[in-house]
Amino acid sequence: MTDYFKMFVGSNTNRLLSPESIRTIEGWVRVPNMGSPSNTAESQRIRNLDELDVIVDTDAHIRETIDDLLPYIDDQYEGAKWIVERTEHPERDIYSLTHSLPPSLHAERGGWSADTNTVDKKLNELDEFNIDYGIVDPGLNLVLPTVNNERIAVALTKAYNNWLLDNFLDEGNHRLKANLLVSHHRPEMMAEEIDRMAGEKDIVGVAFPSTGVIPPAGHDRYDPIYQAAEDNGLPVFFHGASTNTSHVFPLQRMYNQTYTEDHVIIHPFSQMWNLSSLIFQGAPERFPDLDFVFQESGVGWIPYLMWRMDDHYLEMNYELPLLEKMPSEYIHDQIYFTTQPLGHTEDNPRHLAMAIEMAGPNNIMYSSDLPHSDFDPPSELFNRIRGHFDRETVENIMGETARELLDL
Amino acid sequence: MPSKHKVATTDELTDGSRVITEINGQEIAVFQIDGEYHAIANYCVHQAGPLCEGKLTGETYVEDNGWDWNYDDDEKHITCPWHGWLFDVTNGENIHNSKYKVPTYNVEIENESIFVVR
Ligand code: FES
Repeated sequence: MTDYFKMFVGSNTNRLLSPESIRTIEGWVRVPNMGSPSNTAESQRIRNLDELDVIVDTDAHIRETIDDLLPYIDDQYEGAKWIVERTEHPERDIYSLTHSLPPSLHAERGGWSADTNTVDKKLNELDEFNIDYGIVDPGLNLVLPTVNNERIAVALTKAYNNWLLDNFLDEGNHRLKANLLVSHHRPEMMAEEIDRMAGEKDIVGVAFPSTGVIPPAGHDRYDPIYQAAEDNGLPVFFHGASTNTSHVFPLQRMYNQTYTEDHVIIHPFSQMWNLSSLIFQGAPERFPDLDFVFQESGVGWIPYLMWRMDDHYLEMNYELPLLEKMPSEYIHDQIYFTTQPLGHTEDNPRHLAMAIEMAGPNNIMYSSDLPHSDFDPPSELFNRIRGHFDRETVENIMGETARELLDL
Repeated sequence: MPSKHKVATTDELTDGSRVITEINGQEIAVFQIDGEYHAIANYCVHQAGPLCEGKLTGETYVEDNGWDWNYDDDEKHITCPWHGWLFDVTNGENIHNSKYKVPTYNVEIENESIFVVR
């Protein structure tokens, strides 16, 4: 029995388990899949960020504005365009982009201005932190689930994709890859949108803004989206946004009197809801060749939810006939997580590495969230994990896993 | 052995303004606040951000009655442009946790010239 396995099942394991049952449990915790933790020999460690072959930022935001998108709305949606054009405060009255208190006061990078809506500016940002590839995600359109009108939501989704192609992907640089955008409003139309966009160069996934998505992500109304993503070989990325609290958790928004209260819970909270919905509604079972990526909630919550889901599965399988295996096994096989925001982990730097070890390091991918003001530079993650894992595991987390998953 | 390095003249540095310079390989900012000069490293102890390129700001606080919020507009806190941590430029300490401290340096004024001692 490995030391690592002992960590999982407790120190009194030898006394309680027969060798046969140990083997069974070892299968469940998937020891061979885990990165090698702290007993790694010094010579196998990686010491410096420069030694990495590739750093991939799996959550690189751009900041599109309504003015960017308007010219890209298809003629088919002329009426929707006419309304959006004449809306005095479209961020408020088309989208419901609201916060409990304005976040713009606390940091100059801000989150919503248009500073990073050109290729050159985005590449400069990657260069500032020596990042090789950025997987581009929307900014304003994280708020897409709050658009009330379905026609306008579809028109804006397609406009974003057209704008993305024209301004970021057709520019001939190959360091910016992107997720095509879908909205949750009309899944069958989004399947067509995936088919339209999937063949475009440098499209590597499907961005599904996920806070404010009602019903949550596991509902079979989204199957057309998942089917099209699977058929086109693109993973689906779920990205939260605390701005959307007003729609999905209005009561919490009302009593969250500060930006902090809102922001601290909404990202992990809404991702927990979506992940448990996805697993327990059997989406990975229905789409076994589809990978899912959860962005912008950090890693600390993953072991907690995994343990909790496994525990419920074993107790209540009568209501979970859709599942053929443990929730944690679906997670290890088909679910990935991006690392930002790591949180303030400095007091005991090893704790973050241990959380990643518990979550399953082969499914964890570095992300910066630049240019938002809670971004994590590569060094913040690297310095916490380099002494804990072997070289290969560190390389995987910082970029190789993304390179393989997204075919970079 | 520390030595003195001229960074500006007093008329170049008005109230609330700053100069950022490099002294022996270390970027250092000098601020003038209420007629006093303060030198502090342009290096954030959080994640190495360019601390002194951020905004100077005051501080929100709760009045003794426990209800009113107020804003102290004594703008002596530098906001790191990366993640918004606040440091008091007069002593280099993070305003929420003095465990986080940015190096500060002595400043001397001679003949209307501002020197940093490093
Ligand atoms: S680097 Fe200064 S606040 Fe993070």
